[in-house]
Amino acid sequence: MSQYVLQAEALTKTYRSGSGSLTVLDTVSFSVQQGNTISIVGPSGSGKTTLLGLCAGLDVPTSGIISLMGFKLNAMSEDDRAYIRNQYVGFVFQNFQLLPTLTALENVMVPLELRGEKHVRQKAVELLVRVGLEKRVDHYPSQLSGGEQQRVAMARAFITEPKILFADEPTGNLDDENALHVTELLFSLNKQQGTTLVMVTHNLELARKTERILRMKGGKLVEEELVGA
Amino acid sequence: MIEYIIKLKRKTRNMLQDGWVWKMAWRDARHNFSRLFLFVASLITGIAAVVSLDSLNNSLQQDIDRNAKELLGADMVINSGRKLEPELEALFDSLKHAQANEADMASMVLFKRSGQSRLIRLVALQGDFPFYGAVETLPPNGYSLMREQGYALLDETLASQYEVSSGDTIKIGNSFFEVAGVVTKIPGGGGILSTFTPSVYIAMSQLDSTGLVQFGSRVSYRKYLKTESDAETEALEKTIRPEVRKYGHRYDTVQERKEELGEAFQSVYRFFSLLAFLALILGCIGVASSVHIYAREKRDEVAILRCVGSSGWQAFNIYFIQIFLLGIVGSVVGAALGLGIQQLIPLVFKDMLPVEVSFAVSWKSFAMGIAIGTVVSVLFSMLPLMAVRFVPPLAVLRADFEPARIFSKARIAVVALIVLFPMFFAAVQTRSVLIGLAFFGGLAVALGLLALVATLLLFLVRKYFPTNSSFIWRHALSNLFRPNNQTRMLMVAIGLGAFIITTLSVVEKSLLSQVEFSGQENQSNTVLFDIQPSQKDGVVKLMEENNLPVNQVVPIVTCRLRELKGRSVEEVQRDTTDRVPNWALTREYRVTYRDSLHLSEELIKGELQKKTLGQDSVWVTISEGLQEELDVNIGDSLVFDVQGIPVKVHISGIRKVQWSKDPPNFIFVFPTGVLEPAPQVYVTATRVDDQQTANKFQQELIMSYPNVSLIDLRLILSTVNNLFNKLSSVVRFLALFSIITGLVVLSGAVINSKFVRMKENVLLRTIGARTRQITRITLIEYAYLGIFSALTGMILSIGGGYLLTTFFFKIQFAFNPLELVTITVGLVLLTMLIGWWNSREIIATPPLQVLRKES
Repeated sequence: MSQYVLQAEALTKTYRSGSGSLTVLDTVSFSVQQGNTISIVGPSGSGKTTLLGLCAGLDVPTSGIISLMGFKLNAMSEDDRAYIRNQYVGFVFQNFQLLPTLTALENVMVPLELRGEKHVRQKAVELLVRVGLEKRVDHYPSQLSGGEQQRVAMARAFITEPKILFADEPTGNLDDENALHVTELLFSLNKQQGTTLVMVTHNLELARKTERILRMKGGKLVEEELVGA
Repeated sequence: MIEYIIKLKRKTRNMLQDGWVWKMAWRDARHNFSRLFLFVASLITGIAAVVSLDSLNNSLQQDIDRNAKELLGADMVINSGRKLEPELEALFDSLKHAQANEADMASMVLFKRSGQSRLIRLVALQGDFPFYGAVETLPPNGYSLMREQGYALLDETLASQYEVSSGDTIKIGNSFFEVAGVVTKIPGGGGILSTFTPSVYIAMSQLDSTGLVQFGSRVSYRKYLKTESDAETEALEKTIRPEVRKYGHRYDTVQERKEELGEAFQSVYRFFSLLAFLALILGCIGVASSVHIYAREKRDEVAILRCVGSSGWQAFNIYFIQIFLLGIVGSVVGAALGLGIQQLIPLVFKDMLPVEVSFAVSWKSFAMGIAIGTVVSVLFSMLPLMAVRFVPPLAVLRADFEPARIFSKARIAVVALIVLFPMFFAAVQTRSVLIGLAFFGGLAVALGLLALVATLLLFLVRKYFPTNSSFIWRHALSNLFRPNNQTRMLMVAIGLGAFIITTLSVVEKSLLSQVEFSGQENQSNTVLFDIQPSQKDGVVKLMEENNLPVNQVVPIVTCRLRELKGRSVEEVQRDTTDRVPNWALTREYRVTYRDSLHLSEELIKGELQKKTLGQDSVWVTISEGLQEELDVNIGDSLVFDVQGIPVKVHISGIRKVQWSKDPPNFIFVFPTGVLEPAPQVYVTATRVDDQQTANKFQQELIMSYPNVSLIDLRLILSTVNNLFNKLSSVVRFLALFSIITGLVVLSGAVINSKFVRMKENVLLRTIGARTRQITRITLIEYAYLGIFSALTGMILSIGGGYLLTTFFFKIQFAFNPLELVTITVGLVLLTMLIGWWNSREIIATPPLQVLRKES
């Protein structure tokens, strides 16, 4: 098996807009090895989020090849990609994306339940304790603060022990104190589980906590920086 | 560089095996039941209408079948307009079947205690009638008192109307009768007819003493026969048919009566089926609309589920399970409600039915309601729910991301089923594929026209947009064109309800205007008939003494047809190619003579009746309806048998007669100088404006001339009015289903565009709009919607009403603008109320809350 968990080759994404078309991602290629942490930075509209969506199999490129855990996502159906996500991928989003009708605990249990696993409650509770929400287990998202919601989202992301975690501006909606807390948790869980991390952020300080930084501009990958090199 | 590809082996589980989807369905539904209120409400109203109407149909059908013999009270009945000929009586006597006789006629009754009088149907009975069922009276021995001791019995409605009780005295003709009690049930009687002319029952042996059966009196005779088996009835029918037909009499068997009644009720069934069909279709629209809203609300959650690995079908199954289970619950509640309503409808209808209907709970209808409800909830929610399968996971990153429309075979199959379902339902409901198709076609045309009118109205509003009006009015109007506003759909749904109600109003008004002549100046509202020549001057004098105008004194001569266009009646009867109906050949004609047209008549062809010199000297005019039935034209000859004397006449002209205008009116009018020597009776008409004068005159008339009968047309008018009120209240109640469903769709549309509205309101408020202004914009928007919907319905209903009255009822089209305005205003207010109620949260949401959510 390859040591690369993620490989992108000449990824291009074009949207039709009216009579013309708009290229938001232009022949981007990069790869990520198991256990690496990378961040994608760039100004608004540079194509960071589009790239993250493609890498996570949330969308398919107009051209180019994307391979996740050795699976060629381009050739797969949406349901197959969903299966891959469930087996190997974790997500943390800027706006948390918790299911509003489920409690914190149920939100965390969902990915394992989807796999058909039994007795997942204990594991979910342990993770919620790990993120400091042992007293918020039965609360609904609307009853939690932004920082707490993001911690639930992280517990949900890590419960499957994913091979790769995609994070889209994970501290973008949080105050400094909560942002710090969430960042610490993110990196500590990541390290603990040996997860690969791909993070989109505006925050250069946060980006510098990863091993590599990919800079995007106008849909192109313009620079790659090895942090600390 | 990609080095290798791993082939994916993904386990798929169906809905029943996948415990997770059931778990998620429950978790999601715990807090979402209120969101599915619209769905359940649509389903409940639709199914309640279907079940109540179907159950009512079943009950009626079963009860008519069960009580078929009681409808007639015998196995066969011979009807005749005159006493049966001695040859026929001899024939019946020779057959040795049990027999009973009845004679009935119109007569006046005077209630001695109150001094009031009324036209009634006097029924004289002889023999062991009824052979099936029983005459039920209060007190129970009333019938035997009547038969054996010369008492009289009254219909329950008559007794309660005139406050008559056992022991009171009434006068009929020359005789006084003590009242034994009231008839609560009599085979073959009751029903809608007794509402118009209630009956008084006496023994046949008492009839002669009343002195009512005189020359010219219209008496109907019935002979009831009992057989021992159906085979015997068939044999009897074969034996008597030629003889009975020869004399122009008619006969009825139980089977025929059942069929006649079945036919009469067929239109009622169809009307009910049509209403059920409409209610169901509106329910379906409500279901589809509410699930569409629900599925849209769930888009974000589905995107998250897709992100964490749920397949499209798994996401679909979560919501499908909710809709399916809730659909069953809604169907059960709807079906139960329908049975409840079915118990209420008969309370209004009970006086109008010919048989006592038990209105038992129809479990078949109940089960059918649940099945249909479940199918509707699944089928009509399928299309909006299918969209869940295709929610892109990318929506978690980009909320406004819309994927390209995906072609799906399942979606095509669902669309096909959605089109087929109403056709199938209509065919099952009406038990006829053709009528089912007609219903479906009719609905498609009606909905198409409603949509067309709605589109046209919206187009006109856009084209002539009031650009100079104030901001609030302009803004409210432009809101109608907001994306997702479903304005056209709402106009169609609410318009359909308005259409049903206003069409009913137009038809009702047109029918009533036919009998409302009594309200017009100088027109007669009271008719006196069966006046013997010797009584004519006395009756006229009595009218003058009471200061009543004598509008007409018309002689009436009774005669029968002997020859038609040179062929004897018997020849015409035998000729199977001739389409002249037997009743038109054998009936008794009551004709008059005069040389002018009456004010209710118009000569549409030929000349007035006249007497010329020489042979073929008598020229008569005929009414246009009977001219068609007898298939005669100007110049054709007829021979009448006038009390045994043949009178040959020719048709000189055809008259159009407004039968309800200033009665009496006639089919044949002879010229003067022909019938004067013939035995005749007179009819006169007058106008009585107040009840006190009416009472006094009627009392004096019945005391001096007991055989003279009087019809108070005001009484008929009020009866017709009453009947219509009852009928229309039922129809209006059912049309309300349509309105309610329309309002459910309206609520759905408001909720659907909730967030768009919130954002807009917040922006308006941010730039300085006050809550009062926003509330006004909201209310005006719904007022527009209500007005346009009601207008859509009303424009069509005036057209529909015109077609119905002109071509179906064949009466003059009339409508009450005030009532139409009232319906419109009512609908507008209701729409405004519902719209405002659903928008309260939108109006009250603080701007920051929305702006934060937006960010």
